[in-house]
Amino acid sequence: MDELEKLKKEVSQLKELNENKSDIISITAHQLRTSLSALKWIFKMFIDRDVGELTNEQNELMQKAYVSNERMLVLVNDLLTLSHSEDAFIKYNFKKINIIHTIEQTIFEFSGELSKKGIELIFLKPEESFPELNCDEEMIRVVIQNLIENAIKYSNKGGKIFISLKQEDHNIIMSVHDSGIGIEEEDKPSIFKKFFRSEKAKVKDPIGSGLGLFTTKNIVEKHNGKIWFEKTDGDGTTFFVSLPISLKV
Amino acid sequence: MKKVLIIEDDSFLQGLEANKLENVGYSIITASTGEEAMEKINEPKIDLILLDLILPNFDGFEVLKKIRETEATKNVPVIVFSNLSEEKDQDKAKKMGASDFMVKSNFTLDELVERIKKVLKK
Repeated sequence: MDELEKLKKEVSQLKELNENKSDIISITAHQLRTSLSALKWIFKMFIDRDVGELTNEQNELMQKAYVSNERMLVLVNDLLTLSHSEDAFIKYNFKKINIIHTIEQTIFEFSGELSKKGIELIFLKPEESFPELNCDEEMIRVVIQNLIENAIKYSNKGGKIFISLKQEDHNIIMSVHDSGIGIEEEDKPSIFKKFFRSEKAKVKDPIGSGLGLFTTKNIVEKHNGKIWFEKTDGDGTTFFVSLPISLKV
Repeated sequence: MKKVLIIEDDSFLQGLEANKLENVGYSIITASTGEEAMEKINEPKIDLILLDLILPNFDGFEVLKKIRETEATKNVPVIVFSNLSEEKDQDKAKKMGASDFMVKSNFTLDELVERIKKVLKK
């Protein structure tokens, strides 16, 4: 067998392995979620007193059980997204998209949560015509979702979030600014590390896997882009994502 | 009283869902397999169908296809209620005429009730 045939065979074996791995992860996530859904609903029934009164101590324990279960669910969801984002490049589905539209759609998904927390989100849309972006839309949606989710999670009631979008040479730059808890100097080097959550973040919201920004960076880099953050005057953080407009795959 | 068909193979989850919906005033019928679902959709006057995707015999997509082909249910709203979450599954369900796609573990039963009310109001 010549070299080329050998390589072709290896590539197809690798593809098959990759698909098997994705299937196993997807099935495992499904099974885990089934048990976790049952627990979530049962804890909620107790907390809502659907099954009778609780003592204060019982109520407190049930609340803790609920939060712990939610943490597990977030971990399952985030591991699933991470596994998708780490799939071989062949699985990324590049096409030209209207990024303004994608951002608007994603913002809409958060409207319930924003009003619940009394946070205002302002999208500063570019005024001039904007180029189409060559990317995997599902994955870029994850990037936008994660940044908005964090901005909401770490903002205080009544806070404001600004999203802006501009073109700079051959790149688009999106920024998400919040007036939330900010990032401490000593936490800066670890922000994009797998499973990292700052002490401040854990206090603000105990539910979180520490995989969101790791996955986000992963996706941005698979698009040959860059992600970074700046602490602005006063409280809050601004995350920037720069993506090449017409990445050749 | 509005009638909801719950198609769910996990008997424990099915019990919790049915209980909740009955408590808030819906009349409930249930199916635990794809095959059973294919029969139950012929029951009279179903107002809404809650459909799981991973089912024994026929999967949820096959059931959804049948629902859309059956005269009595072709216009009945279907909420897919599954623990699958991939975009390809969501797109497929929407294309096949599902009104909504909810990932079970992301919602409480109260939120499910709210969603059902909203769909029935349309």
